[in-house]
Amino acid sequence: MPLYMTNGAAGVLDDDAKKKIAGDITRIHCDVTGAPPIFVHAFFAEGIPDMPLGDKSVLTFGSIRSGRSDAQKESIKSQVRDAISGHVGLPPEAVGVMIFDTPAHWAMEGGEIMPEPGEEAAWLAAHANKSEAPGA
Amino acid sequence: MTTCRCLVQEGQISPERRASLETKLREFSTKLGSPSEVRWSEIAKGSGYTAAMPSTTSVVVVTADTPLEQPVRVQLLHELVDFWTKGAGCSVDEITAVIGDPAQA
Repeated sequence: MPLYMTNGAAGVLDDDAKKKIAGDITRIHCDVTGAPPIFVHAFFAEGIPDMPLGDKSVLTFGSIRSGRSDAQKESIKSQVRDAISGHVGLPPEAVGVMIFDTPAHWAMEGGEIMPEPGEEAAWLAAHANKSEAPGA
Repeated sequence: MTTCRCLVQEGQISPERRASLETKLREFSTKLGSPSEVRWSEIAKGSGYTAAMPSTTSVVVVTADTPLEQPVRVQLLHELVDFWTKGAGCSVDEITAVIGDPAQA
């Protein structure tokens, strides 16, 4: 957690774009929130039934831990929209980004309840090997 | 009805393991209310990233019929992660589990 799930119209998201977008989503989320990269999941698919695209070509749902400010969420949405737009060559208006809060205490990663935002130190200390993974 | 959605990485969990996990998830969901329909989504190779690296993480999201007390939720999350790791043949670092309360009307 967070999980950024991106749904694209057929053929819009190639593997190179997905890799670049995943890198940007991770960087943006961590820059804005201070969360460690190891928490950030970015998944991509086409034609997800419960993520209707409407008038968009790409739609990203971010499920993030509750507690972030409205300003932080707006910053994430804006930056992620611009990153996707740039990597797939679409105007920003063709990209939708929505953020949803999920209480940290509803989620378990690494066999432990997720920490509240700002309280990651103990969790990371218990998962030192994982948090030192390449790219973390 | 409880809901259960599983996001798994392509090729990571065999069809046999997946069938076994689905049976366990249906049984498990009865502890959260009525039995759940289990919905699977497979993330294609090259389409899943964790920490900007290729991901081996599965995400399992279950929604309960009624709000849960946190000690009960924690116990259920441990149970879910335990049977998932054994059934999928993965580590605890490869499963993100969420047990949520029902959405408020």
